[in-house]
Amino acid sequence: MSSSSSPMQSTGRKLKLKSKDDETFEVEEAVAVKSQIFKYMVEDGVSNGPIPLPNVNGKTLARVLQWCQKHADPTITEDELNKYDAGFIDVDQAVLYDLLMAANYLNIEELLKLACMRVADMIKGKSPDEIRRTFNIKNDFTPEEEEEVRKENAWALGP
Amino acid sequence: MEASYSMEETGTVGGGVGNNNNNRATITSIAQDHLLTILLLLPSDSILSFSMTCKKFRALIFSDTLWESICRRDWGSKSVDALKSSNLHFQQQQQLPWMRLYKQVFRLESVSCHNLTYPDSELLVPRPRASHSLNFVSDCLVLFGGGCDGGRHLDDTWVSFIGKGFQKMLKWQKVNSGIPSGRFGHTCVVMGNLLVLFGGINDHGSRQNDTWVGQVACHETSVITLSWKLLDLQSVAPPSRGAHAACSVDDRLMLIHGGIGLNGLRLGDTWVLEVSESLCYGAWREILTYPSPPARSGHSLTCIGGTRIVLFGGRGLGYEVLNDVWVLDMPEGYHKWVQIPYELPKIPEGVSLPRVGHSATPIVGGRLLIHGGEDSYRHKKDDFWVLDVSAIPSISVQQPTTLNSRGLLAKMWKKLKANGHKPNRRSFHQACADPLGCYLYVFGGMIDGLVQAVEPPELRFDAELFLVELVLKL
Repeated sequence: MSSSSSPMQSTGRKLKLKSKDDETFEVEEAVAVKSQIFKYMVEDGVSNGPIPLPNVNGKTLARVLQWCQKHADPTITEDELNKYDAGFIDVDQAVLYDLLMAANYLNIEELLKLACMRVADMIKGKSPDEIRRTFNIKNDFTPEEEEEVRKENAWALGP
Repeated sequence: MEASYSMEETGTVGGGVGNNNNNRATITSIAQDHLLTILLLLPSDSILSFSMTCKKFRALIFSDTLWESICRRDWGSKSVDALKSSNLHFQQQQQLPWMRLYKQVFRLESVSCHNLTYPDSELLVPRPRASHSLNFVSDCLVLFGGGCDGGRHLDDTWVSFIGKGFQKMLKWQKVNSGIPSGRFGHTCVVMGNLLVLFGGINDHGSRQNDTWVGQVACHETSVITLSWKLLDLQSVAPPSRGAHAACSVDDRLMLIHGGIGLNGLRLGDTWVLEVSESLCYGAWREILTYPSPPARSGHSLTCIGGTRIVLFGGRGLGYEVLNDVWVLDMPEGYHKWVQIPYELPKIPEGVSLPRVGHSATPIVGGRLLIHGGEDSYRHKKDDFWVLDVSAIPSISVQQPTTLNSRGLLAKMWKKLKANGHKPNRRSFHQACADPLGCYLYVFGGMIDGLVQAVEPPELRFDAELFLVELVLKL
């Protein structure tokens, strides 16, 4: 698979994918197999027609495939990958959750981990109020309930 | 995989996918499984802050399965598995109340001491001593060697069967004499079901560097035997020494540091021993890292959570009594000592922290219980402190920090109250914990002489055995 002259050696084997909104993508096998479900399909020697992905829309699939491409590149260093991932996952929440669900559906462990870590980073160190603002969560506690909850957690969060 | 509840939103969450409320991706679109995965990446205070945002998330974290995972993450699997097997043994309950357990362990404020020494006993008991070794292995307490009156060394091995519970009545059995040769200031650690003993000084002043392994065998009707044998070394052993510190790491390795070497000088080297599967061979190698803890003796090395080693206190090259804390994380092939700076004046009663000849024992919750020792005036102590270094992130591995990510060092030191039996102030005693890390056995050491106000203070050896119980209101 490696060649000294070009970063991505084409093996000629490509997979056709079709998103839920009917966008089609052609992708190198080496890139597609980042997803465990494609890995099994490739190993089983499956499919001539495009593989339908009813749970992922075109925009998200495009991003995911871009990520897979970068991560399938044998010449990229770990440092560069980390920098890329940091930039890649710095997106607004709607995109983030779509990526998370797509990574789960397509069984791409590393991307799922990346997305989860990003959500965790958005929660970490924040007060309940700050978390509500970040995620647009409605506070459905009554003032009495809120006081009760605050007392309940005082052992960890302080008075 | 869609979340089954709906949640009103007060604003938009960004553009892109979907045009109506039901399809707009929000934190509610994330399946419960993923939410729990995300929570497990967070320190406990953030998990609780998240749960305080709304009713649904408050309910989400009320899961003992989740808190078992958090306990496992923060305390280590060994601790959690020991608690589970003990629970099965005693209560046959479905599941331990992990959330309550986590909270109580975190809130630990006091210990309760119980005297296990019965004065009128006709039973044979070990004589008073200090700088011996005391370990909990194969359901037994094992005591070896030490120094006694007249600066003489001891070479006896004593065993007491404890079993799974804590007993208020202990019967000592003397199981050996003469092997290993008499010594004090040696170290002995537990590796699985094996005891590994190293170094020490004998009463001729000779420092040793031999390595011994011991195995306890419990036969029927409480007959216990212990066989010691010299470990065959496949490498050079560390230089001879006594009053060094040692701990076992993850049941495969033993780490030692410092001590007083052949020419009476204090050492500051770090060595690791790896014992073969067959338990017949061992290989030592030195860990060279800069910076590293300065030379010292009478300090403590403790392993928490399987791979993190904490070094504390001791007496340095200039004979000064220390209070510095160093941490060594040992993932594969990468070792680096890091000093944890803290401000003594900011800690309540922190002025009493510097000490030598103390004990530092790992307890439940991935923390250390420090007891006794003496200060630079040779005044002995009887206090109990919890040292918590979990807030300090691991050097090479990305790990979620535990409680108090905001005030990293605020919860590092906590002095505990002590109820029940009042033990003598002591130093150069030994302490070891039961497998659950909820009980500590303490034996011997040097206590204040009967004649007070004598300088230098009279040396008196102690044979008191007492139990320290962590007060965890479950």
